[in-house]
Amino acid sequence: MARYIFRRILQFIPVLIAISLFTFVLMQAIPGGPFDFAGDRSLPPTIVANLEAKYHLDWPMWKQYLSYMIGDDILGEEGGSRGVIRGDFGPSYHFRGQTVADIIKITLPVSAQLGFMSLLLAIIIGIPAGIIAALNQNSWIDYTTTFGAVMFVSIPNMVLAPILIWIFALILGWFPVAGWGAKPPYLLGFLPTALNKEFFSHAIMPVFALGTGSAAGIARLTRASLLQVIGEDYIRTARAKGLRERAVIVIHALKNSLIPVVTILGPAFAALLTGTFIVEQIFGINGMGKHFVTSVGNRDYQVITSVTLLYAVVLVIANLVVDITYAWLDPRIRYD
Amino acid sequence: MAENNSLVRVEKLVKHFPITQGVIIQRQVGAVKAVDGISFDIKHGETLGLVGESGCGKSTTGRTILQLHEPTAGKVYYDGEDLTTMGESDLRRLRREMQIIFQDPYASLNPRMTIGDIIGEPLDIHKIGTAKERLERVQELLNLVRLNPFFIKRYPHEFSGGQRQRIGVARALALNPNFIVCDEPISALDVSVQAQVVNLLEELQEKFDLTYLFIAHDLSMVRHISDRIAVMYLGKLVELADKDELFYNKMHPYAIALLSAVPIPDPVKERQRKRIILEGDVPSPAKPPSGCRFHTRCPIAQDICKVEDPPFEEKTPGHWVACHFTKKAQEEML
Repeated sequence: MARYIFRRILQFIPVLIAISLFTFVLMQAIPGGPFDFAGDRSLPPTIVANLEAKYHLDWPMWKQYLSYMIGDDILGEEGGSRGVIRGDFGPSYHFRGQTVADIIKITLPVSAQLGFMSLLLAIIIGIPAGIIAALNQNSWIDYTTTFGAVMFVSIPNMVLAPILIWIFALILGWFPVAGWGAKPPYLLGFLPTALNKEFFSHAIMPVFALGTGSAAGIARLTRASLLQVIGEDYIRTARAKGLRERAVIVIHALKNSLIPVVTILGPAFAALLTGTFIVEQIFGINGMGKHFVTSVGNRDYQVITSVTLLYAVVLVIANLVVDITYAWLDPRIRYD
Repeated sequence: MAENNSLVRVEKLVKHFPITQGVIIQRQVGAVKAVDGISFDIKHGETLGLVGESGCGKSTTGRTILQLHEPTAGKVYYDGEDLTTMGESDLRRLRREMQIIFQDPYASLNPRMTIGDIIGEPLDIHKIGTAKERLERVQELLNLVRLNPFFIKRYPHEFSGGQRQRIGVARALALNPNFIVCDEPISALDVSVQAQVVNLLEELQEKFDLTYLFIAHDLSMVRHISDRIAVMYLGKLVELADKDELFYNKMHPYAIALLSAVPIPDPVKERQRKRIILEGDVPSPAKPPSGCRFHTRCPIAQDICKVEDPPFEEKTPGHWVACHFTKKAQEEML
């Protein structure tokens, strides 16, 4: 197992290099640059040239990439970059005076809180809903659940979020329209220090807007998977042994039926974490997703590449965790 | 047909699976008549073979007897107790005595449990013995089915089909049952392995005085293991007799046609063997034919067969047949 994990981690390296290279090249291929505008006015060409020289944007692209990845001193050039490999993600071109690391440190915890809570909501609603629907197959409970699931899978969060704001913030006035209730410093770097009313009243609507789609997907998958397992012979075997129906479902059916559900949790978590930008935008939350999208418009190359890399790391780690969980859930799967 | 030494008695057992239509308001538009009023008994210590084509309701019969399907109508008596009206807890108590071995040794073992857990679970839920005694019992059972007790911590996928089926047998035996429904226990196995499992079943029967309902479609295997054989067609029994009586004095046209398919291991006789090929397909059990269900394919069917369902009667002692024209069948088809 340890060898397997080690090998998988080694495999991350080429994946991450390829992703960084693609992002870096593609971003630079887009017309325009980070210093085209200052506010709503354009800058004089000499100032642009000076700025570009300061950030080494006048270097050939391969040299810029290497400077970003491994640092200037290894390249034998003058400059402050220590490279991604030594944890230096470079400066932000747009927010001058801030490094990419500073931005991530402020915004990632917010996105992570939002993503985690959405995933939690998706699991807490999705799995029980799927189980209840499957155990009452073809009853009105099943139809209602399935109908709700199809509906929530189909409504995109950019539609759901404004509806939620309209009903619960504007008409009913239960929750604040926008903003986020937790502020740095964070526990362990990303957990809110106080789980108070302030935090939850801000969080409920964005978490709901982000998580219901996944909850609906998980509910449908759980239902289908449990129905399939209940039809298996070994469930009949369990009944023939004289197990109570509850024990048959809990011990024999549920564990087997949750295997496919676990496999989608990894990608689902990555999707929730990276898919936060629309919800963050709508609710005015200062998270990483929102920054990510704005920095594309600003041609803030270092921010874009760094955040993409970060998302990629989250995705591959989530998938690795799923694969490991999978081996634990299903003894037929063994890694070596 | 009440006999004093019968262990299991089935009376007019019916199992219909409803066919429903409609999305919001469901209504029943029909039923698959998988088992449609069958009666027989199984004596202490005997093996009753149940044969028939695929889809004729053999497996449903076995499962309905054990109340794994809830019967639509009819009675099942085990040792004089009516299983069909019994409450959950009484039924669970009786599950110790009635067990089932399934056809597919790949699907019938939970892939996430070690075979020790699979075999030991019945002991656990019926709270038999201490943990140590249960472990010893599991090892004993593995020895009994000739698997190395060392395998106790392994998972089902690490075994071959024959080994898995023996695990299934060990599991069924864990609670010392009296009655075991063998639901095509060898159909999914290689021919070479089939013999092993059948021999094991026979040996265990002798050792523990077991009673079997042996469901199969392999006629020569059924003949080998059974004391009596029942032939089923479209949810009904058509003939039931001692195995030799059935093979040498068969009366029902369907049984005659079915048994004519058994090859004879003697080339000279095999060449002279008269095969009766039935025409057409088995009708749908959702819409069985009127009268005698076999009349659509019967080579000697008369007008009365389309109207009147022949009763299942004892033509000679211990030989039950459901046909209007048993004499004609024997004269014309043999």
